[in-house]
Amino acid sequence: MTAPPPPPSTGRELSSPPTDGISNLRFSNHSDHLLVSSWDKSVRLYDASANALRGEFMHGGPVLDCCFHDDSSGFSACADHTVRRLVFNYNREDVLGRHDAPVRCVEYSYGTGQVITGSWDKTLKCWDPRGASGQERSLVGTYSQPERVYSLSLVGNRLVVATAGRHVNVYDLRNMSQPEQRRESSLKYQTRCVRCYPNGTGYALSSVEGRVAMEFFDLSEAGQSKKYAFKCHRKSEAGRDIVYPVNAIAFHPIYGTFATGGCDGYVNVWDGNNKKRLYQYTKYPTSIAALSFSRDGRLLAVASSYTYEEGDKDHEPDAIFVRSVNEVEVKPKPKALPNPAT
Amino acid sequence: MPSQMETTCGSLLHELQIIWDEVGESDAERDRMLLELEQECMEVYRRKVDQANKCRAQLRQAIADAEAELAAICSAMGERPVHIRQSDQSTGSLKAELRAILPEIEEMRKRKSDRKNQFIEVLEEIQRIKNEIYWSGGYVSNNIAVDETDLSLRKLDELHRELQALQKEKSERLKQVLEHLNYLYSCCSVLGLDFKQTVCGIHPSLGESDGSKSISNDTIEQLGIAIQKLREVKVQRMQQLQDLATSLLELWNLMDTPIEEQQTFQKVTCNIAASEEEITEPGMLSADFINYVKAEVSRLEELKASKMKELVLKKKAELEDICRKTHLIPESDSAIDLAVDAVESGAVDASFVLEQIELQISRVKEEALSRKEILEKVEKWMTACQEESWLEEYNRDDNRYNAGRGAHLTLKRAEKARALVNKLPAMVDTLTSKTTTWEKEKGVDFTYDGVRLLSMLEDYLVLRQEKELERKRQRDQKKLQEQLLTEQEALYGSKPSPMKNQSAKKGRRLSCGGGPNNRRLSLGGPMLQTPKADMPPLAKATPNTRNAKKTERINQDCLRDDGFAALSSGRRGLDLAGLPINQHSLNLQNAREIESPIIRKPFSPISSTDSSKSSATNILEALNRKHNDMLPKAITSDSTPFSTPSKTMADVENRTPQAMAIPVPSTPSTVSIPMQMAITPAPAQMSITPAPIQKALLPAHTALKSVDEEIEYSFEEKRAGFVLPRSHPINVMQV
Repeated sequence: MTAPPPPPSTGRELSSPPTDGISNLRFSNHSDHLLVSSWDKSVRLYDASANALRGEFMHGGPVLDCCFHDDSSGFSACADHTVRRLVFNYNREDVLGRHDAPVRCVEYSYGTGQVITGSWDKTLKCWDPRGASGQERSLVGTYSQPERVYSLSLVGNRLVVATAGRHVNVYDLRNMSQPEQRRESSLKYQTRCVRCYPNGTGYALSSVEGRVAMEFFDLSEAGQSKKYAFKCHRKSEAGRDIVYPVNAIAFHPIYGTFATGGCDGYVNVWDGNNKKRLYQYTKYPTSIAALSFSRDGRLLAVASSYTYEEGDKDHEPDAIFVRSVNEVEVKPKPKALPNPAT
Repeated sequence: MPSQMETTCGSLLHELQIIWDEVGESDAERDRMLLELEQECMEVYRRKVDQANKCRAQLRQAIADAEAELAAICSAMGERPVHIRQSDQSTGSLKAELRAILPEIEEMRKRKSDRKNQFIEVLEEIQRIKNEIYWSGGYVSNNIAVDETDLSLRKLDELHRELQALQKEKSERLKQVLEHLNYLYSCCSVLGLDFKQTVCGIHPSLGESDGSKSISNDTIEQLGIAIQKLREVKVQRMQQLQDLATSLLELWNLMDTPIEEQQTFQKVTCNIAASEEEITEPGMLSADFINYVKAEVSRLEELKASKMKELVLKKKAELEDICRKTHLIPESDSAIDLAVDAVESGAVDASFVLEQIELQISRVKEEALSRKEILEKVEKWMTACQEESWLEEYNRDDNRYNAGRGAHLTLKRAEKARALVNKLPAMVDTLTSKTTTWEKEKGVDFTYDGVRLLSMLEDYLVLRQEKELERKRQRDQKKLQEQLLTEQEALYGSKPSPMKNQSAKKGRRLSCGGGPNNRRLSLGGPMLQTPKADMPPLAKATPNTRNAKKTERINQDCLRDDGFAALSSGRRGLDLAGLPINQHSLNLQNAREIESPIIRKPFSPISSTDSSKSSATNILEALNRKHNDMLPKAITSDSTPFSTPSKTMADVENRTPQAMAIPVPSTPSTVSIPMQMAITPAPAQMSITPAPIQKALLPAHTALKSVDEEIEYSFEEKRAGFVLPRSHPINVMQV
């Protein structure tokens, strides 16, 4: 193998991490600021390059997801059913609205200027954050889903919604009345995470059973023939395969390669086009709960935080590692064996 | 005196006459002056008389008053008046009368005040006792009003009687209080309570050992309540203790607890039938003591439970043993396992399960008795079959007549075996008829290790026939060959060895060998059972006339091929679960999947929605590309399960994910994947060993459950304690 020896470290650990499970983390699109939501009911804003905590918001319940609005504000999805807008400079928070059950995920669409939230109440809601606070004015629409929403991802005007029961709905944000496509997950087990390809042609979907499916929006035969699934985050021990859930997928903003994080504590980097694994980082202390590349792809934030896959038990402390990404780790290498299938 | 006064008056008049004479006063003047003098004198007299009169009236009044007072006192004291004045027999002057009455009054006054004091004394006493009885706290009033008008002795007597009654009541009350206190004391000591504290709660005076005790209504009432309460507690605890004692005795009895161990609780058990009054030993019913006994009982119960469990397990083992010995399949094996589990979890009474197992054992024993005769015959038949197969092998051994060590023994054995084999058909016949009668009699199939004996016999006969045919065919062939040989010999003068045909013969035999087994497979249904190497009670049971060992191996090979088919579908289930079922690419799928277990690439494509190309070409392509030598074998050796069953299974797989768990563990561990290493940069981590995946180790084990049966929850939902408001089956959306 030509891969250089792996760097010894897991990256720089951020000081003052959340005190309970990390539900998600995201880099800003404008800076190296990192927004982190946690089960300790907080949303924290870090300056990843300076390793400094820049802000903290406390909510009424565990925060299950967060995302940036612009560099100075963001949104949070909270288990107290509430969607909030957080303004970092003034440490101010507005309630955007409420769901009927804990809000599982939140995304902000730069194209439509809307916040999209998915909840366990089996609905998707779109919000206009510019509207004055008050649900009546900020709520744009409610779209019922076949099951509880587990993961959302956006690319361009496409929105992919993954729910319990392995449903996948693909929406066009300009016409939310109907899903553009109703699909079922190609994987046999519960969906953990869905992320769209940066080039907008499809999405990757991971399941609790150590597997990732690569799907394409194009419904033509040629388009669909490209899809495939692969196994990952498994361990063979004494002749038995141990299969770990794949919690997180993060695409590299420039190369389109992607990293996956599993409950085995490993982060793998894959080249989806050439069907190859590019890199595996050294093992993290516990499950990988979330991953995010910075806007230029030079940094990778890794949340090493027990995701409760085995219930309440002793576990390693929750930590956020920010590692600088070597190009060789994420750059596709098409020169290797040409794939006979394609 | 008057005369003297008269003289003075006459001399004064004389002196006046002299003066007048000298003055020369007229007679008129003199007369006027004398009249004046006379009037003044009259005035003086009248005044004095009035004064005397008034004094007399006062005196009379005083006497009357005194008499009135006397009368009043006398009437108050209820006595006849001592002094009754007889107004007409007035003894003397008024003053004397008054003097006589005064001392009498004095006397009566004194007596009255004495009497009054007596009254006050008695009344005070009465009041005090009343206060003690009716008032719980101290004196309320000290003002005793004595009715002054009735101070008679009769009244006094009345008061005395009242006082006595009160005093009696007081002493009675005191006695009652003391009795109550005594009872309370004994209760408290039995119940292990603090007596002083209990009593002080009722009235502080009760707790003191000496000094007066409160005897008020209130106190007595409260004492009564306290006693009632304690008695209730006592009875309740007594019952509890007696219950415990009963269970103790039962447990001792049941487990033959040694006397020394019992001794400690002797005093508990000896009170088992005692009434409430009989329990007097201090602390006997204290909460601590009861807890102590309770702990002992629960300890014994645990002991008992574990012993029962042991017993159940022992009985279960016994049952299994009997079943094994009599080649019966324990009918409700899983039911017993369940029951044992239930006992272990404490959900079911062990004795009940024990009874059930006992019942089952007796049933099985009975059945075994009825099967005995046939079973013996079966054993004989089996040994005969064994000998038969041995003989077969032996006959094929071309070196059998080579004289080696022990050859004579083998020869002898062969001789015996031949005799036995000759008897075999008759044996089978009798066995069949016996079994048929048995079955008729019982109305159930006679099973041998779960296989119906008649079908085994049938199989055997079929095999025998086949064998017979084959033998005949071989004989014919041999004849033909010999004919050819002789012709050849005539031509070339040499005779090739008859050994040539050996391999062909074997091959045929082998392919036959799988026959009955496959039948069994289709009967048994679940493919997963078959790949087990240790399966063959069947292989043993089926009396193959061939080399038993070889057949087994072949069986396994066949099974493995079946396993492949099943596995591939299972695998596909894993990969493609969600792909629309209506796609027409199943055949293609099969083709790909057949290769996949053997050489599974990490990024192998799943499928395309409708590439409904013919499967055959794809298979061939795949085969050509992946030149795995196992593959052709997999296809050629067993072509039927390949095409059809896997298809149906795939359908099933797609619908009920639960069934999926079955084929996965059957993945043959021998197959390895060299291809992966070439493709993936880090082989060690990437290699996907098709070794049986331990699904139990899969953290998301719940996700494996069927969506139709149970609502799945993500880790986050479980952690947040989120539950769907109403559980309704989630229908997997079919596109």
